[in-house]
Amino acid sequence: MTQVAPRRLDTFTLASEPGNERLALARVAGTVKDLGLSDARLERLKTAVAEATMNAIEHGNGNRPEIPVEVAVTQDGDEIIVAITDQGGEVNPGADEHEEPDLIRKLDGDQSPRGWGLFLIRNMVDAMDITTDGQRHTIWLTMRTGGAAHDERM
Amino acid sequence: MTSACEATTRALPGAAVIELSGEVDGSAAAVLTDAYERAVTASPENHDTVVLDFAAVDYINSTGIALIVSVLARARAERRKVVASGLSPHYREIFDITRLSDFIELFPDLDRAVSELTHPAA
Repeated sequence: MTQVAPRRLDTFTLASEPGNERLALARVAGTVKDLGLSDARLERLKTAVAEATMNAIEHGNGNRPEIPVEVAVTQDGDEIIVAITDQGGEVNPGADEHEEPDLIRKLDGDQSPRGWGLFLIRNMVDAMDITTDGQRHTIWLTMRTGGAAHDERM
Repeated sequence: MTSACEATTRALPGAAVIELSGEVDGSAAAVLTDAYERAVTASPENHDTVVLDFAAVDYINSTGIALIVSVLARARAERRKVVASGLSPHYREIFDITRLSDFIELFPDLDRAVSELTHPAA
């Protein structure tokens, strides 16, 4: 059987400025729009990309515009993989997310109202991995195209 | 930070309505807090319920979710109910995942919310 090599669909960088996550989500959405994701799953991927990019801008690169966030979109078989890289090294990109968000504790004032980013990402995509290589810190978001009705929540 | 969120408020019998538009993210904190304040102080005796209408909102992120949590916490402390209308299917899913929908009743649109609140089914 012939193995099809992963295909790089797009790479780009963004300045680490708050709000630039919107640019990332729009560009990734445009790149993957014809690859067979349902509307619901495309919306999930967009949210995951925005949250991961926000973390990279804020926690990884410290909102320093001169340090770019790198985004790469790859298709590997029936998987779309979005890699978002900052220069935060071992720094946890969700620095305020050491514990699982608990809405009741938040409403009672026992937990910060914030801290939803990684939680949302994990729940939006089929797989999430984080790797570090020296200073480079990458979050990998994987979404399968088509045939994924089993995890449609709607 | 400049906010891309706008809010208008209006009073209905039994409910204060906050109609949001644009982007609900961290930069919307002052807009949302001010709107809540205006909504519940305009006619406080009528405002046991606050309706958040998201029909014209095109983006909510995790920091926006945090703001909604803060509004809900304040409303609960003041013994007010919060309901939401006009969320897209995607953001309804996020309200479910975060469990916000356990505490905020969701309506498809503002008309339905207002109708239910002003003429509740027997």
